[in-house]
Amino acid sequence: MDRKNYLEKYDRTTHLIGRAASAITLFLLIGAPFLIGFLLGALPDLSAAAKGFLSVGIIWTVSSVVEFLVYTPMLGAGGGYLAFITGNLINMKIPCAMNAREIAGTQAGTPENEIISTLSIAASSLTTIVVLALGVLLMAPLQPLLQSEALQPAFANVVPALFGAMAYQYFRRNLKLACVSLVMMTLLFIFVPSLISQTSMMILPSGAVTIGLAYLAWRRKGKQA
Amino acid sequence: MISQLNSIPLYLICGGIIAFVAAVCIIFMVRSYKAGIAIGMDPSKLKRALTSSITFSILPAVGILLGVIALSGSLGTPWPWLRLSVIGALHYETQVAQAAAEQVGLKTLSAAEMTPSAFATIALLMSVCIMWGMILSFFFNKGYLKRLSGKKQESSSSKPGFGDSAMTAMFIGLVSAYIGSYIGGFVSGKGNFTFQGDLTPIIVAAVSALCMSGFIYLSEKKKMVWLESFSIAASMLAGMLAAVLL
Repeated sequence: MDRKNYLEKYDRTTHLIGRAASAITLFLLIGAPFLIGFLLGALPDLSAAAKGFLSVGIIWTVSSVVEFLVYTPMLGAGGGYLAFITGNLINMKIPCAMNAREIAGTQAGTPENEIISTLSIAASSLTTIVVLALGVLLMAPLQPLLQSEALQPAFANVVPALFGAMAYQYFRRNLKLACVSLVMMTLLFIFVPSLISQTSMMILPSGAVTIGLAYLAWRRKGKQA
Repeated sequence: MISQLNSIPLYLICGGIIAFVAAVCIIFMVRSYKAGIAIGMDPSKLKRALTSSITFSILPAVGILLGVIALSGSLGTPWPWLRLSVIGALHYETQVAQAAAEQVGLKTLSAAEMTPSAFATIALLMSVCIMWGMILSFFFNKGYLKRLSGKKQESSSSKPGFGDSAMTAMFIGLVSAYIGSYIGGFVSGKGNFTFQGDLTPIIVAAVSALCMSGFIYLSEKKKMVWLESFSIAASMLAGMLAAVLL
């Protein structure tokens, strides 16, 4: 079988497995609260759940739509299905896939990139599942260590540690754009400190501005060429 | 109530769902590895991508485990274990659980106030609020990617694609938002221009970035390419260590 036919077949099966896995996981996750409620002797209060959804769910719905539109092209078919099933996109799956792509030297939108993303997200998800399963299994003896006062600052700073490493990795590729973006976001948070608690929502305007500026630079470069 | 939330049937329900998702991950991993080999990708690159993804994920996974521990006091262990293993995100779960708790009349998200109905409602809302990515993937992943690849083919004939620049730009924007928030928090977090906020995240990020620069130097200039697999995880560890020492 030649490469084109092989990849077409691979792509078709990926969508088939991805859709089936998404549908079954969704059914299991929505069904579990009802089953647990049945076992505990009380079903979910649907009216309270609807009110709760209106208060916080709308934000997460919008965020999910944006995440789908932005991240699916980065992750490709298999990586996309898996990432949305396994979660922890911004703090784990996306940087992990980008790092793997960097190591393998693949370009966005190519079959190689699709394969590396899927491999990376599957490995990352399995690692998380294994670490959590071991952690839950060893919860009792591990708890004193993990909850020890001395280690709390380390775990409270996982995200800054991640973004520090990524800042070096990405800022050096386009220093001008990084300076503009960093100064803009820093000034925004200095003058409107209430936004600090909503940093994840601020990724959208920040990303939109940097993509817009990169697009203008790309067009200018194209005209000069 | 907490003993009911930590009962064997709940472990079996949540563990069963996690096992299903683990099986899906294994299927995708094996298929993608085989496909990479079949289309002629370098096996050593595939293995390095795999190793780096595993090492990269261990530290954040320990952080997520802490989230399970944090939530297990009020929701028991099985449900947070499921949520954080499968679909959830650390920053999401607590926020939604808290909002659901308020709607069912609990003053705080605590085991002392928890009732079976409150728990089932909280669990349902946690599932519903974050399911949209999966639903969108189910309906639109195929069509969306097909449309994008069509556009790419049209544009690739005339000039180089914008895709890679856009990805780099998006990540610069993402990282800038977080680093900017740490600086903003230090400068104005405790009142405008008081410089009394928390300096730790800035120092942690700086140490992590410095460590990363060392890894990139060794990898690019000294040809120690194998270090790439551990660069992010080790840089994070250095940053986190700085937080402990501060």
